Amino acid sequence: MSAARGPLKGRAARLGRLMPSGPSSAARTPFVLLVVLLLGGGLITLLLLNSALNQGSFKLRELKDRTTELTDEEQALQRDVDANAAPDALERRARELGMVPGGSPAFLGPDGKVLGEPTVAPSPKPSRTPSRAPARTADPGTDPKPTPTGTTPTATAPTTSGR
Amino acid sequence: MPSQEPPRRRVPGPARPARPRPAGSGARAGAGGRAPRPAPRPAARRPAPRPPARRPRTITLGRPKPRLRLISVGLTLVMLVFVVRLLQVQAVDASAYAAKADKYRYQEYTLSAERGEITDRNGIALATSVDAYDITADPKLFTPEESKVRDAPEQAAALLAPILGKEPAELAKKLRTPKSRYTLLARKQTPQVWNQIKDLKKVYAQKARAADGTGVNLLGGVLSEPSTKRVYPNGDLGAGILGYVNAEGRGAGGVESMLDPELAGRDGKIRFTASGGRQVPTAGSQGTPAVPGSDIELTIDRDIQWAAQQAISDQVRKSKADRGYVIVQDTRTGEVLAMANAPGFDPNDLSAANSAAMGNAALQDAYEPGSTSKVMSMAAVLEEGKATPDTHVTVPNRLHRGDRLFKDDIDHRTWYLTLNGVLAKSSNIGTILATGQLGKDQAESNRVLDGYLRRFGIGSPTGLGFPGETPGILAKPEDWSTSQQYTIPFGQGLSVNALQAASVYSTIANGGVRVEPTLVRGTKGPDGRFAPAAAPEENRVVSEKTAKTLAQMLESVVEDREGTGTRAAIPGYRVAGKTGTANRVDPELGRYKGYTASFAGFAPADQPRVTVYCAIQNPTKGSYFGGQICGPIYKKVMEFALKTLHVAPTGSESARLPVTFEPTP
Repeated sequence: MSAARGPLKGRAARLGRLMPSGPSSAARTPFVLLVVLLLGGGLITLLLLNSALNQGSFKLRELKDRTTELTDEEQALQRDVDANAAPDALERRARELGMVPGGSPAFLGPDGKVLGEPTVAPSPKPSRTPSRAPARTADPGTDPKPTPTGTTPTATAPTTSGR
Repeated sequence: MPSQEPPRRRVPGPARPARPRPAGSGARAGAGGRAPRPAPRPAARRPAPRPPARRPRTITLGRPKPRLRLISVGLTLVMLVFVVRLLQVQAVDASAYAAKADKYRYQEYTLSAERGEITDRNGIALATSVDAYDITADPKLFTPEESKVRDAPEQAAALLAPILGKEPAELAKKLRTPKSRYTLLARKQTPQVWNQIKDLKKVYAQKARAADGTGVNLLGGVLSEPSTKRVYPNGDLGAGILGYVNAEGRGAGGVESMLDPELAGRDGKIRFTASGGRQVPTAGSQGTPAVPGSDIELTIDRDIQWAAQQAISDQVRKSKADRGYVIVQDTRTGEVLAMANAPGFDPNDLSAANSAAMGNAALQDAYEPGSTSKVMSMAAVLEEGKATPDTHVTVPNRLHRGDRLFKDDIDHRTWYLTLNGVLAKSSNIGTILATGQLGKDQAESNRVLDGYLRRFGIGSPTGLGFPGETPGILAKPEDWSTSQQYTIPFGQGLSVNALQAASVYSTIANGGVRVEPTLVRGTKGPDGRFAPAAAPEENRVVSEKTAKTLAQMLESVVEDREGTGTRAAIPGYRVAGKTGTANRVDPELGRYKGYTASFAGFAPADQPRVTVYCAIQNPTKGSYFGGQICGPIYKKVMEFALKTLHVAPTGSESARLPVTFEPTP
């Protein structure tokens, strides 16, 4: 403490010690600046980081809302597809197109041999297109079923999807 | 009291001559001496005023020492209180306060697991879950005080009724619920419905704002709660198999209930720091994610199921029957391709469903199968080597056995039939005569027949594990009554469910090996991996030769002019089948009344692929013969199944076993 040096120089010495010495005062300004910069920079970075995170949370919410919206839409569309693809609906529409249930199945082999007994499809009840007698042809096409010629929709069109 | 005592004691202190200790006072003060410390100061500052000794009274008031003591003691006490309280808060009740704080700081939500889908064998959804909203309201906001309108409930109800599809009066009544802050307007509405209401709310909010801010949003009290809804896109298709879910979304019937643990998944939880209801992004969150339920793939083929259901529903309606079932089974794998019940129900709208039709009658009804079970008696006779299809059986008009006189379904003169003919013409008497040969005496015959019946799966559960499934009734052979020993060979006096009956024919079709029926192909877990179901049990019931012979005999039923099942014939195919017309036990009366018409068979007879079984309970209009009403259903469903599965005719000639023989005079 001052007890050791105080009596030697007295009041002047104490005042002199309070005065900043020449060279150190020059070095202190950049240091203070650096500290201020660091602190300020840190603060701003933190602020930016925080707001970026918050921005993210807003974006997240927005995207979640959008997801919900799209899920709702997808489910609504799926409902429509299901309603149209249900076997009942398919049968009704096939009948509207003048198709009739296929009856006993008959198969046409690649060698032209007919397996089963193909029959003429019965004409649909509300006969919109007069059903012509479909001529049986041994056309070794790709369709394994004996599809009669002609474009009459009353042919032995199976109601099965033929999977 | 201690706060007062020291000052009084030390009052004379300052009056005493100060001790001359200028230096080292700081060091002493650090040591904490009480008495010496205040002393130097008055001594140092006021050396002069010491002589006048008549002013001490005013000085004592200004003396800081007692005051400081008082204050420090007071502060110490306050600090002590704080410390005690701190200890209480931080140490004693710490957990309770922490929990309380967490309650406000953290928000916890249950993440509901998505219920798995049920699909058919091609992956087409038969049951799926979609998002939905429960529309609720706060009736308090519709009171005249809050809404500033007298008939707010009626106005709101008129707006909501067309959207929710409900009666305005009903909604208004709910909105008028007194002293309540919650009422449920409509359950499980689609998001589109809620969107419509939201839009409407927005319009009214704008209107309210336009009215100088004094107006009140008429629909402000309408709210929603997210929920999920189980949807069956195909309506009543396969409803008996699928079952339904209850209000909590748990399976309550059918496969939904049978595989509920797999379908339900596991609910998760999330906990996060929230501020103003929103998650604080930097604080992080914790919890367990929800594990979605597994998807179940059934062995059902949707198209075949539809064809079966269509056919049986039509016929049940036409015959004014109680109910009917159709089972389609893959003969090689035992997979059930279709299991249709009529009448059915729509699981999307259980309020409209008839509770009697809500089960899966094909598995839950036990009934006497009638002549379709003669095939098991024939299997026993053939396998035991007691007869061949050509064995001659002379069938009299009546047969006296036990205490009864047995007859065939039609009155006939003595028939000269082969064993094949007995089956083709479905002769009860012929079957009794044939099974009588199984053992040395009737008791042994009973035991042998019972062994075969049980190996065919009669009297035991099918192995599906379906809720409410009946194992049927088959008494032990030693308990068979006098009449039962003669009626069981032709299918009366024992009970089966429809799948058991179908499985008998699949066993014969599969070369005598019974494959346990299966309904579930596998499950697809949340990781998207498909886990096939365990392979069904297989056991041989009859030899391959016996099975082949039986298939040929069953062909005669359909193909022979005199057969009972000619209406089931499919041109181009070799079809094996058997008719059945059983006396039906009326479940209410407990005695025979009405009939059970049935038809069972498989095709193609020489390379079987599909078994179709059909039964109609208590047809009251038109014919009640199995060959007449179930034969056409069999034909229709079988044709459809053969087309769907791309089964071509084998092209071989049928065996045409003889039905009758010429009696030698």
